Amino acid sequence: MKDTIVCRCEEVTLQELEETARKYNSSARELKLLTRAGMGFCGGRTCRQAVDKVLTDITGEDPTNELPLKVAPPVRPLSLTDLGGLAKDE
Amino acid sequence: MQQLDVVIIGAGPAGLAAAIQCRENDLDVVVLDEFPKVGGRLLGQLHQEPSGEWWNGIEESKALQTKAESLNTDIRLGYSVYHIEKLEKQFVVHTKQQKFVTNNVLIATGAAESPAPIPGWTLPGVMSIGAAQVMTNVHRVKVGEKGIVVGVNVLSAAIARELQLAGVDLHSMALPTRNVVSEDQANPRLVMERLSRIAHLAPSKFIQFGSRFAKWKWVQDLVVQYYPKNGIKMWGMPIYLNKAIKQINGTDKVESVTMVDVTMHGDIIGNSEEEIPVDFVCIAGGLYPLAELAGVVGCPFIYSEELGGHVPVHNEKMETPVAGIYVAGNITGIESSKVAREQGKVAGLAIVIKEKNTSEITGKLQTAISEVKATRDAASIQFHPHIPEGRAKVSAAYDDLVKAQEVEKELEYV
Repeated sequence: MKDTIVCRCEEVTLQELEETARKYNSSARELKLLTRAGMGFCGGRTCRQAVDKVLTDITGEDPTNELPLKVAPPVRPLSLTDLGGLAKDE
Repeated sequence: MQQLDVVIIGAGPAGLAAAIQCRENDLDVVVLDEFPKVGGRLLGQLHQEPSGEWWNGIEESKALQTKAESLNTDIRLGYSVYHIEKLEKQFVVHTKQQKFVTNNVLIATGAAESPAPIPGWTLPGVMSIGAAQVMTNVHRVKVGEKGIVVGVNVLSAAIARELQLAGVDLHSMALPTRNVVSEDQANPRLVMERLSRIAHLAPSKFIQFGSRFAKWKWVQDLVVQYYPKNGIKMWGMPIYLNKAIKQINGTDKVESVTMVDVTMHGDIIGNSEEEIPVDFVCIAGGLYPLAELAGVVGCPFIYSEELGGHVPVHNEKMETPVAGIYVAGNITGIESSKVAREQGKVAGLAIVIKEKNTSEITGKLQTAISEVKATRDAASIQFHPHIPEGRAKVSAAYDDLVKAQEVEKELEYV
């Protein structure tokens, strides 16, 4: 059977996430940093929920009120030119 | 730089309804939406209500837009908000085109689709069910010649019907095979339980389909156990709760899917593989509240399965504990667009009261709050039977947080 890709931007598979989480007993943030899941172009907008579920499953914990992965700006893909405000005359 | 009374993020039913209230009371408003059209997800909606009436989202959206425009509402389309920065008393809303300084922000960003990853889902020709809806009903693009829907839920059934009405050929609807992520959508028993108390979002035929098995758990068990081999047909299209899609095949694009039989618990039955030629696949993993902007501006969250995931803590007036930040619509929990519209009205009125420092419309606000509840209760079958419980949990969390904030303040004076 083919691999199941979870994070499409960084091509991280479900198997890879599960193995890494088990091996290092990671938190959501650690799993993200170890695998780069959710750190690609889309900023985790596709896989955030999936990565959360992998963790909830492995730790057996109920989801907490905290967001498992911190949200940081920019929440949309943005070019450095736009970020620097150089795209137009102010 | 001009200082606004309120920036409304999202021009869907919630955002537009709020804008109308604010403009009727002469507030300086800017409405932002990243889509090139007004209406949000209303634009995709077309279904028959249990009463037999048709809900046409495009018409509903037009009515809101016309009203907002008659009040000279500044609506900017194609504006993506990527950050909300909190200053001492104001907020800066960042978009690629421009920054907006404002006293209040209403975050009405709606919901996003949860993924249900299965092998091969990154091939061109695989899309979320919502994407298929937008292409069909908004852009009028035919998504393919023959497709299959992976994931059986209220939303996917409603959209499958819309695709059918648009002349798009669907082989069937089936479950995804089970993995950690798709578990929720892959267990026939859970799917059946949800179908049996299906929402007003669903087309009426589908409600009949689900509610036929609604009352008794043991009936549902039997139904799943003895589910007809050829599926239950809805509008001539089979719905399989006893078959799942194991993988999507193709070299450069979707060419087929591999379907397997599953037990009532979602376990794959050996030697049951069947290859079905299709040129597109719609994956339906359900919806969750899109709350990232509430996250960056520091709103506290609460997890509520009933409401679809993590939602920003808020009260009945749609205020969050971050003074000046309001929420309305599906960001507060997955419900129908009618509820979203009523919530938007509440948020709009609450912002007017704050900005004008007036109690003149307090009565109107109270009425609007009761309208939200009435609209929710009027839904013939709830999207989730425990929505009111989820709502109560969120309100309680708000009260607790506000109390804690007050105690903190008092301690500062001591």
